[in-house]
Amino acid sequence: MNTLRRRVLATALAAATLTMLFACAVTGVGVEGSVGYDGGYYEPYGYDYGGWGGGYLVGPGRGGEHRDDHGRDGRDGHDARGGHGGRTPAYHPAPAGRSAPSIPGRSRGR
Amino acid sequence: MLRLPRLSQSILISVLVFGSCTSMAGAADFELPALNTPPSTEHHLGKMVWADLVTPDLAAAEKFYGALFGWTFRHIRAGSSDYAVAMFDGRPIGGMMQKAIPTGERHQSAWLTFMAVGDVDGVKRTATAHGAKVLSDSRSYPMRGRQCVLSDPEGAVFAILASSSGDSPDYLPVSGEWIWSSLHAKDAGAEAAFYQELFGYDVFDLPSDDDSEHLILSNDNYARASANSLASGSARRHPHWLNFVRVDHAAETAAKVIAMGGRVLVEPRVDRHGGMVAVVADPAGAPFGLMEWTESDTKVEPK
Repeated sequence: MNTLRRRVLATALAAATLTMLFACAVTGVGVEGSVGYDGGYYEPYGYDYGGWGGGYLVGPGRGGEHRDDHGRDGRDGHDARGGHGGRTPAYHPAPAGRSAPSIPGRSRGR
Repeated sequence: MLRLPRLSQSILISVLVFGSCTSMAGAADFELPALNTPPSTEHHLGKMVWADLVTPDLAAAEKFYGALFGWTFRHIRAGSSDYAVAMFDGRPIGGMMQKAIPTGERHQSAWLTFMAVGDVDGVKRTATAHGAKVLSDSRSYPMRGRQCVLSDPEGAVFAILASSSGDSPDYLPVSGEWIWSSLHAKDAGAEAAFYQELFGYDVFDLPSDDDSEHLILSNDNYARASANSLASGSARRHPHWLNFVRVDHAAETAAKVIAMGGRVLVEPRVDRHGGMVAVVADPAGAPFGLMEWTESDTKVEPK
């Protein structure tokens, strides 16, 4: 009887161990220490910032801005499709008739 | 040996095992909040929907951003991660993660930009096929959704996120919220093409007075970000994403940044929309932008 009880107990413990191992694998607890979050990335150190001249504009316009169509014949470093440095742009430019949109203007709760 | 009926033994063992697993699972799950409560049914491919700061001093970062923008914080800890969710007006708007810098090494604290996608793994495949590298592979978080961290062909780090609660509707952010993201790269056109492959952006080349390329990337008829040539004048500049917080007064906010131990990297200046922008760094050196925006600045409402 004792032997049977030990076998039952051993079987239950083995099942429990396997269950825990499976649960740990699913939830990310493991030898690699993968618990937690993967979101943080440091940038390289030693780079500098700034140097934005007066024409260095990074923000959105107010909507309806004219496209950079001056010099599209190849002058001013642009080619006929808007590329810089006299070359075809790597991207597909938005259709010529469209002006650049702005950010959303609708306020929350309105 | 304790004499218990067999059934009682089994139940006892089951309870113990269940308890252990539940306890471990609780510690392991990183319970990031949903982006939207209640969930949104909207999806905006290529919209900046989240940002995570990595910093060696989480307490200092909380003090700084809390005082500057009125953000509050909710702490999450799991395993080796020490993380705080930044809340604004009851909504989660970003996260801050403390990560130790190994002795003898020097790294730059930074904000990581998250762009909305519908299919993380599909966009990841497209990205890697076009020269991106996977820095942190796709992973799901129960409330948040699925995300992946990548570096683009020039090495600018960004993340993609398929939010399980949808994407936030397109509202004009209020002061204290993220309002804009700009990419700064050696070849802005090539980088715009890369992101166009990922997010289907419309790309607009806008005029500028300098010799740099300044492109507006839009989706759903809204400007989502810009791609710009790296400013000239130094070889020690690297491709990166920069996120802007809306403020009422860029100059006053920049002065507060200095008073609280931060630095001004780009002095307040008038940008394309007629409002002021500035670039500052928090006390740990993480750069971010400040942008003024008056309601009347949005001239055309396309929808």
